[in-house]
Amino acid sequence: MPDFPHTQSAHCESGVAANLLTHQGIPISEAMAFGMGGGLFFGYLPFIRINGLPLVTYRAAAGHILRQIGAISGVQMVEKRFRNQDAAMAELDQALAVGIPVGLQTGVFWLPYFPRALRFHFNAHNLVVYGKEGDEYLISDPVFPQPVRCPANDLARARFASGALAPKGKMYYLTQTPARLEYKPLIVKGIQSVCKMMLTVPFPLIGVKGIRFLANRLVRWPQRLGQERADLHLGHVVRMQEEIGTGGGGFRFMYAAFLQESAEVMQAPLLHDCAASLTTAGDTWREFAAIAARVCKGRAHPDDSYPAMAACINRCAALEEKVFTELRQWARQHP
Amino acid sequence: MDQLQRELLELICTTCNLHDVNLDSIAPDDPLIGPDSKLGIDSLDALEIAVTVQKEYGVRMDSENTSRVVLQSIAHLADYIKENRL
Repeated sequence: MPDFPHTQSAHCESGVAANLLTHQGIPISEAMAFGMGGGLFFGYLPFIRINGLPLVTYRAAAGHILRQIGAISGVQMVEKRFRNQDAAMAELDQALAVGIPVGLQTGVFWLPYFPRALRFHFNAHNLVVYGKEGDEYLISDPVFPQPVRCPANDLARARFASGALAPKGKMYYLTQTPARLEYKPLIVKGIQSVCKMMLTVPFPLIGVKGIRFLANRLVRWPQRLGQERADLHLGHVVRMQEEIGTGGGGFRFMYAAFLQESAEVMQAPLLHDCAASLTTAGDTWREFAAIAARVCKGRAHPDDSYPAMAACINRCAALEEKVFTELRQWARQHP
Repeated sequence: MDQLQRELLELICTTCNLHDVNLDSIAPDDPLIGPDSKLGIDSLDALEIAVTVQKEYGVRMDSENTSRVVLQSIAHLADYIKENRL
């Protein structure tokens, strides 16, 4: 059976990036891949609708981390998309036949090894196929603690799931990696890119400004939309935050883990402090989400209200503004 | 169901306002969330459970993927707490 260093991860894209690099002899944590890949983000994009409701995203666009990892000096990543399902599966088999583990973008709903209750229509789920036995593919799916298997027909269907973010058979693999990664410049570059998105993009729906924009909108939803639609919007925001492959609080925790690891590499205690503040921001996002869940479920506590939730989100904005301002200043001193 | 599992089941019922549940009818490996859940728990309930578990046991579920796996069943949740409790 082919060997692949499967490690369970919190987020599929950063997990796959870390596992592929580790397989190439560059052991790297998921958090480090997430941070170097500039994975953290916030965007409130009401002109993009998911099920008729505005898109809220807490991390960089699907594929961004892998693109950043692929752009590292000395790394070469091949990426292909297909129109034809048979051609896509044949190309996968060819790569596996010469021992290349292949990353795939897939639709979660069609992967039979996911328990039924956990399947949902999300088309940007990443996994690594590292072998084939008979009609079954051997898969390192970062969501699972152990490698899994998937029949060929199901995998083909998952690779060509339709709808938003349709994978179109996307496959990718590493063809070249450096002997070792120069961590320090990659850490600084990753931090700079996230600081830029969170602090300096002039668009008011992006970064810290976007977080405050969401708070200002949310507090007016009951008046503007009526209670029922306001609660519907609220439930949607929370599902986008904690469920649909985005995970607002979760990504703050992961970036905090990246900062902790980076603090050791860079010998920079400030990064430890920033990690602690970002963990508090993650907990505050969760606090907002818990209030929202209670409101949506009709079991609100006496203090739960739209203004209370907006205040929570504004606290997140203040915490993140402080963290990324400090990080930006630190990064300027470490070009 | 061991003591921790029972404790968690009671905590979940309190958190989600499930007052008419026969606790003895729930097995440790029963699906906790989704259409097969005997408790009728959905993703919003799951979120509140994750926050409550963090408050009560000091165990954080760091991501949506972790929550999905951990909250598959009472048995999974209890194991996760045992492994990660300080």
